[in-house]
Amino acid sequence: MGTNERKRSLTVGLFVLIGLIILVAGILVLGTQQNKFSKNLVVTTFFHDVKGLKVGNNVWFSGVKVGIVKEITFQSVDDVKVVLHIEEKSSQFIREDVMAKLGSDGLIGNAIVSLVGGSDNVPPIKNGDVIKSVTGTDTEAMFATLQTNNENLVEITKNFAILSQQMVEGKGTVGALMTDSTVALSLKSSVNSLNKVMADANRASSNLAVLMNKLNSNQGLIHDLTTDTAVFASLRESAAQLQGVTQTASALMENLNATSERLNDKDNAIGVLTNDPEAAAEIKQILQNLNGSTAKLDENMRALQSNFLFRGYFRKQQKEQAKATKDSLADLK
Amino acid sequence: MGSKIEKLLIEFAKLHRFMMSFLREAVSPPYEFKEIIRQCYEIGWRSFPLISLTGFIVGFVFTKQSRPSLEEFGATSWLPSLISIAIVRALAPLVTALIASGKVGSQIGAELSSMNVTEQIDAMEVSGTNPTKFLISTRIIATTTMIPVLCFYVAGIGLLGGYLSIASKDDLSILAFFTQVFESIAAKDIFAMVLRAVVFGFTIGFASCYVGYYSSKGTEGVGKAANKAVVSSMFLVFIEELLIVQLLAIIG
Repeated sequence: MGTNERKRSLTVGLFVLIGLIILVAGILVLGTQQNKFSKNLVVTTFFHDVKGLKVGNNVWFSGVKVGIVKEITFQSVDDVKVVLHIEEKSSQFIREDVMAKLGSDGLIGNAIVSLVGGSDNVPPIKNGDVIKSVTGTDTEAMFATLQTNNENLVEITKNFAILSQQMVEGKGTVGALMTDSTVALSLKSSVNSLNKVMADANRASSNLAVLMNKLNSNQGLIHDLTTDTAVFASLRESAAQLQGVTQTASALMENLNATSERLNDKDNAIGVLTNDPEAAAEIKQILQNLNGSTAKLDENMRALQSNFLFRGYFRKQQKEQAKATKDSLADLK
Repeated sequence: MGSKIEKLLIEFAKLHRFMMSFLREAVSPPYEFKEIIRQCYEIGWRSFPLISLTGFIVGFVFTKQSRPSLEEFGATSWLPSLISIAIVRALAPLVTALIASGKVGSQIGAELSSMNVTEQIDAMEVSGTNPTKFLISTRIIATTTMIPVLCFYVAGIGLLGGYLSIASKDDLSILAFFTQVFESIAAKDIFAMVLRAVVFGFTIGFASCYVGYYSSKGTEGVGKAANKAVVSSMFLVFIEELLIVQLLAIIG
């Protein structure tokens, strides 16, 4: 075998070797990734509806791929038997009371079977176990919920639109506040007044401070009042006299009180007059009668004037009166 | 009309006889290992730069061209899956076969027909060497083994090209890329790839050898044979691709 041919053989050998390595590496990676070579446990579950699950879809446990769907067959009218192959190395963490749930790896992703739940005190799954299934949240239901949310959102935004419209139009308290300029102005003036009040209060407090200062610095009337004993004595005297005056006033008030109390009683004239409604009614009647009597008396008197017995007297009187007026007129001249 | 059908039938008979003699010579000793290695070197190694470059470009360009349509619905993260399915299931064997048809097919056709024209084949027969064993079997065996090997390279390099195309836009690690690549293909996809590559390799070798071996005498026969080898092997590759796809769909 010549060196040239030897070289050729080596080249071809290497070439083929590397090519085969690529193939074998591919198959091995594929195998390990899809767990073709690891030992599997066969676990069965039943679904009413597998929602497009296919043989070869992944089985997840806590989000980690632990196996694949091996077989999907009909068991009865509304039961689909799903056979899962679960890696033996993961099986110790998957308990017998685990539940199979249908899901998807993403919104439009492949269907998957996810194993959920499982409690610590239950033994791990064994080959040939049957696990329970639960109907999970499928995409359809999710979209239905989303639709409800959308409707609510539409309602809310509609209400907000109405609210904001009313605010713009100046309806309601907030609207008035935001759009009515007079409200704003009055609010402004109130704030201004408040400001002024605060300023006054400020000034007052500063005056008070000055006053306190003065008090502390032994000047002024209040200081004298509080410190000068002579003034205090005379003040005490005045206060005593004032007390006497008030006592007198008090007695006066008592008398007055008694008088007014008696006014309230009915056992004296004024009391009857002021308090007894019956007496008032009687007096009223008397006054009415008196009124009627005087009217009649007036009439009688007029009748008397025209009576022949008294006519002469009245004439005479008239004459005297005329004469008296004449005389008084002459006196005036 | 009658003569045409007769010609066609004779052609089929010749094909059958050629196939039979190849099979007989391929399995019966003595084996021409040295010549097979030489042919493997010529067919496999010599074609490697051309085919690997083509594979790289196909992977790179295919990824780049697929990006906009996936981008349209925000699914550029699916590019690795798309590329892996496209390359492993279809492109790697097909591209390898087409390039090899051009490179290897024309070479075999021209070689054998020029031997035929210069009556080397007859001379070989006279000198006691079996031309089918020495010329035909070795070449067909070489193509049948080398095209699959080239195909594996093309798949690997094509995926690498795809990765580089993705990496130029997205920040994707090569590990994440290959995880996704192998997530979307199954063992049967690799099996189908190997099957195709073997079938294509055999087809290219067989068609080219047949065309070269039975080329017409005369200088123009060489050119004709080279041309016919390329055209017929490419044509047959596509027919077989169609048939294999159907077959695999039936098998599942």
